[in-house]
Amino acid sequence: MARPRALWLLPGALAALPAYHAAYAVQYMSVAEAQKAAFADASTFAPVAVDRAALDAALAAVPDSALGTGWAPQVFAAKKDGATEGWLIVDQVIGKAEAITYALALDAQGAVTRLEVLEYRETHGGEIRLPAWRRQFVGKTAGDPVRLDADIHNISGATLSCRHVTDGVRRLLSLHAHALKTA
Amino acid sequence: MHRVTVLVTAVSLALGAAAPAHAEDEALRKELEALRQQVAALQAEVNEMRTAKATPVVTAQPAVAPVIAPASAATPAPQPATTVAQTPPQRGIGSDSTRLWGYGELNYNHPTGDAGKSQADLRRAVLGFSHAFDEDTHVYGELEWEHAVTSADDQGESEVEQLYVEHRLNPELAFRAGLTLIPLGFLNERHEPTNYYGVERNFVESAIIPSTWREGGLSLLGSTESGFSWNVGLTTSQNLRNWDPSDPEGRISPLGAIHQELQLASARDVAIYGAANWQGVPGLTLGGGVFSGNIGQGDDGGFLAADSRATLGEVHVRWQPGPFDLSALYARGTISDTEQLNLTFVGNPYPVPKSFWGSYVQGAWRVWDNGRSSLAPFVRYEAFNTAASFESVPLGLGVPDADTERVWTVGVNYYLTPEVVFKADYQHFNITDELLGYGTRFDLGVGYQF
Repeated sequence: MARPRALWLLPGALAALPAYHAAYAVQYMSVAEAQKAAFADASTFAPVAVDRAALDAALAAVPDSALGTGWAPQVFAAKKDGATEGWLIVDQVIGKAEAITYALALDAQGAVTRLEVLEYRETHGGEIRLPAWRRQFVGKTAGDPVRLDADIHNISGATLSCRHVTDGVRRLLSLHAHALKTA
Repeated sequence: MHRVTVLVTAVSLALGAAAPAHAEDEALRKELEALRQQVAALQAEVNEMRTAKATPVVTAQPAVAPVIAPASAATPAPQPATTVAQTPPQRGIGSDSTRLWGYGELNYNHPTGDAGKSQADLRRAVLGFSHAFDEDTHVYGELEWEHAVTSADDQGESEVEQLYVEHRLNPELAFRAGLTLIPLGFLNERHEPTNYYGVERNFVESAIIPSTWREGGLSLLGSTESGFSWNVGLTTSQNLRNWDPSDPEGRISPLGAIHQELQLASARDVAIYGAANWQGVPGLTLGGGVFSGNIGQGDDGGFLAADSRATLGEVHVRWQPGPFDLSALYARGTISDTEQLNLTFVGNPYPVPKSFWGSYVQGAWRVWDNGRSSLAPFVRYEAFNTAASFESVPLGLGVPDADTERVWTVGVNYYLTPEVVFKADYQHFNITDELLGYGTRFDLGVGYQF
């Protein structure tokens, strides 16, 4: 019978979870801190599940991002008194060889209010944490190019990290336009 | 997460496959649905904990999250794949502690004045690796092969280009121990072919700053939120005892000719360096650095330049407004106390210089960019002199100071992807000197990094 077998598998699945705890990183900010920094007066941050079809549609709209497969951003709706103030999206891109975890805050209209680097794992390219670089994204929407060397300046020596985070922000703006935007 | 995902999928499939149209089918489905939601909720919570580490996350229960789908995905039939996508998740990238990367380049040089000397070369193939021992401690290495074949009968080289342990003391401060790159100029630390214009590395950053220049030692590096970064170190230095006054290598690159590269390096004398960059305005880099160390390497009285010191300093600026990429660099070096040593070299063409310098300005313009591929023509003007002066020697016994070489390079980098580049350029030399590799030429190259 499949049912007992499946139930037997379930604890196995849960037991496998700690194996994924081995992320080596310098954590500059936690998700909770990023939430507070972006939406100081929000009372709740409700996780929003976005299904694969929505992700695919958002990716299809920015075909040249070329950030690979397996995209799985973590979306939170910042709410105050039941009204959505905006969104905080936690996502990852590859820097040179390792992942960069970052959080993008959007206002209710889908414009960037903040970009935070949560975790950075490489010795080179960490310059993307510079506030002056991150501030370039503030105000960008899905209607903007959001491209390195166009409306986003590069940091010499951190080109790959800059390019990949820029592409990552562009696809998150696309995600907002396709799946989060309230009509 | 992948393992969980797979198992969840397996659970779902196993349940689904073994549930034919029986009476208990419906009950089973309901239970499966409940299980699915429980697993999703657990998965979400674990993700939360993992992302936020010890800090409690200020959220509502992640258990039942609304699914938002585009209008096209209207059918609500719950597939295993949907369950997977419902979890707010991590990709799993970054969770492996060992990484591999690499770069390489293949070049073709065609001297316009002497086509018979045309040459094609697998210039270098490099494999890099890193391993994380814990969150703050890594080892980094780069293994390099130059000129394709290395054997007793071939000219290729195989070398360890970098190998160091890095430990992060806090997010803004780290130290390294091992074989590291000296952080002077633009190229030395970032010498992957996608990072520079032109088939060959520029002359100033190969003749004056001898890229790829590495030394063994300790370094401390840090950065601030205002865009200031710095790197200081105590390392091995060059060995002047290796100077060969009959070999043009000393004229091609004075410091390159006496590098040790941590190959049984004489380490009686050591060097210190310091370098800093400011990148507080996006697109702008201002920086510079100094390296200085004794290079006599030994206490015996027999060597006539035992107190000799090599010093190299440089300043650089780069400005990247939109599609433009403008940079300039000036470097100057000295080698002291060579008078006695050079007297023993009288009659040889290449005694040890007292000073050498080089400078370039470069402009590139990304004229076309479709987000993936791009085309960037560039022009660079370099002036450099690898033997600008010598210590004084009795009249008639010295060699004249070298003439300053001036090189114009015009060319194009075509990036098929940001990590794969095809290059073509034309280089015009003011002075032709075959021994030193100066001669007007046409170059082609392909390079990559991953």
